[in-house]
Amino acid sequence: MEAVQTTPAFTGQRVRLGSETYNGIVEFLYDEADLLDQIKLKEWGALLAPDLVYTVPQRATRLLAEQAQTVVRSVMHYDDNYRSVMGRIMRATGKSAWAEDPPSRTRRLVTNVRVDTTANADEFAVRSYLLLTRSRFNHDEYDLVSCERRDIVRRSGDSFLLARREVIIDQAVIGTPNLAVFL
Amino acid sequence: MLTKTSTVLADGTKIEDLVKVDTREVHLRALSDPEIYELEMQRIFGKTWVFLGHESEIPNSGDFIVRDIGSDSVIVTREKSGEVNVLLNVCPHRGMRVAVVDAGNTQIHKCIYHGWAFRPNGDFIGAPVERETMHGKILPKDKLGLQKARVTLYGGLIFATWNIDGPSFDEFLGDAKWYYDILFCRTDNGLEVLGPPQRFIVRANWKAAGEQSAADGFHTLTLHRWLGEVGAYAKKGPNEEGADLSPEMIGVEISSPHGHALRCIDLARKIRRITGLEPNDLSVDQRLEALPPAGLTRDLIPQLKRRLSAGQLECQTSMPPQVGGIFPNVLFGYVYIPQADGTVVGSMTLHAYVPRGPDKLEFVNWILAEKDTPAELKEKMRQQTTQLFGTSGMVEQDDSDTWPHITQAAKGAQGRNITMKYQAIYEKGKPEGWPGPGIVNEGFTKDDTQWHWWMYWRELMTGGI
Repeated sequence: MEAVQTTPAFTGQRVRLGSETYNGIVEFLYDEADLLDQIKLKEWGALLAPDLVYTVPQRATRLLAEQAQTVVRSVMHYDDNYRSVMGRIMRATGKSAWAEDPPSRTRRLVTNVRVDTTANADEFAVRSYLLLTRSRFNHDEYDLVSCERRDIVRRSGDSFLLARREVIIDQAVIGTPNLAVFL
Repeated sequence: MLTKTSTVLADGTKIEDLVKVDTREVHLRALSDPEIYELEMQRIFGKTWVFLGHESEIPNSGDFIVRDIGSDSVIVTREKSGEVNVLLNVCPHRGMRVAVVDAGNTQIHKCIYHGWAFRPNGDFIGAPVERETMHGKILPKDKLGLQKARVTLYGGLIFATWNIDGPSFDEFLGDAKWYYDILFCRTDNGLEVLGPPQRFIVRANWKAAGEQSAADGFHTLTLHRWLGEVGAYAKKGPNEEGADLSPEMIGVEISSPHGHALRCIDLARKIRRITGLEPNDLSVDQRLEALPPAGLTRDLIPQLKRRLSAGQLECQTSMPPQVGGIFPNVLFGYVYIPQADGTVVGSMTLHAYVPRGPDKLEFVNWILAEKDTPAELKEKMRQQTTQLFGTSGMVEQDDSDTWPHITQAAKGAQGRNITMKYQAIYEKGKPEGWPGPGIVNEGFTKDDTQWHWWMYWRELMTGGI
């Protein structure tokens, strides 16, 4: 049951907060969050690179001395690529995807964005925190999902595409009844 | 108020009356009443064999995982001898939780509170400052170990019970074992998990999921209808069968007096569609080669043939068990995932619905494979199973709202008296020449398996009426 994938290495140089590149990437993340919160899934799909790998590892509770084992990359909560994400969008925009019909009302709060360069001049290693609030039906309690996204964001024309996302979710037992929404 | 012949709830309702035997109805109150829940923790989860995981999760001496039997946390350990133990995760000194992590490896489980130490087999080693004898002199050391459950390994699956002198695991499975053997005992090196199980919370009574798993076929047509619209079974061409999921409803369903359930689904259609061959012209061997059991590669077929009986092989190649449940709270799914190139990939999952209060369950999802499956195929099975089942599973996402809505309804003053109905009843009975035992019915899926689940629930809850 070993880890089969590794996170992109963040060994590049920091792209300073407030620089043009940094601002462009933050705006990209805000626009992405907006599309997802408005359930414009096909438009969101257009932001994804064809070589996308999209994963959400499991978390485990382990001793401080065993922290490396708290991120489980064998069986994960999402284990997707571009093709399967497109399949999910096709399902979600169909007639009978009951899990999100009626849809959750979500709010994706994206913060703590840090950008580093990578070995490729047109690719950036981007870490961001996400707090997703989720409300369904007439329930008066929110489901919360907090996580860190570790992305590879690639220049494409005047904007960017998402080429890789690994979501480090904060719960060992997920407190919302499914992850039918993208993080 | 408990009596020998009936169990009466605080308002005078008899538990046995919640299940209306003559009309096959169950009052929704069973899904919300906190008193019933507490009794279940003793009479269901305290008496039956409960699934905890697979031995491949704890391969080495000292390995342990922390799981649940009903409302109790247990440590599942592998000791030096290779034996698997299941220990109540409660320190006998002052009740502290002993294993506070999800998993690990240790030869000494030490409670952080006062340092009491235990071996992986539960034996009490001692307390710190041995000469001061913190554990006192009233109880000997051999009475101060962690409480031990009785354990059975079946196909490597770990089951445990607190009913130390009760029925054996084989007796618990009864006739259903003949069918489970076809799934869990196929090869010499056996199964393994592909990772730890996913865990997520659904705010619903555990029985909403438990009874559905035992085994609701019909909801696939409607709740999971996306499968026929854009999913794997969607219509692919003008002459191809698809879009209509109802052929998946046809087969043979096995009910059990102990609430186990298996839906054996007709394989002939799949053989025709996937291989182009006519199954009626094929022998059992040829059918095995044409479309091996889900998750079994062709090179393992000789082992399957050696381990199963002729009748079991006949069953596997005509109407294999593909989905169903093990009482009280387990679902198994052995299905074929169609691939773009016309082939199939097997998907093998087990779920447990752990009760976390009358209106909360923890959904635990394991993904399995035969150990001797090539790595590349294991990766496909892992990825595609994750995409269809469990936390983000496109199939199982749609189950996430129904159970909570039902649980909410069961809390209503009127709602709790509404009944769940199991009135779609088989009339045909067993198909001619059916090789397997048990309560067997053929045709379009019906409610019999789920009804038997409730009847066993009723039997356990009322102490055997």
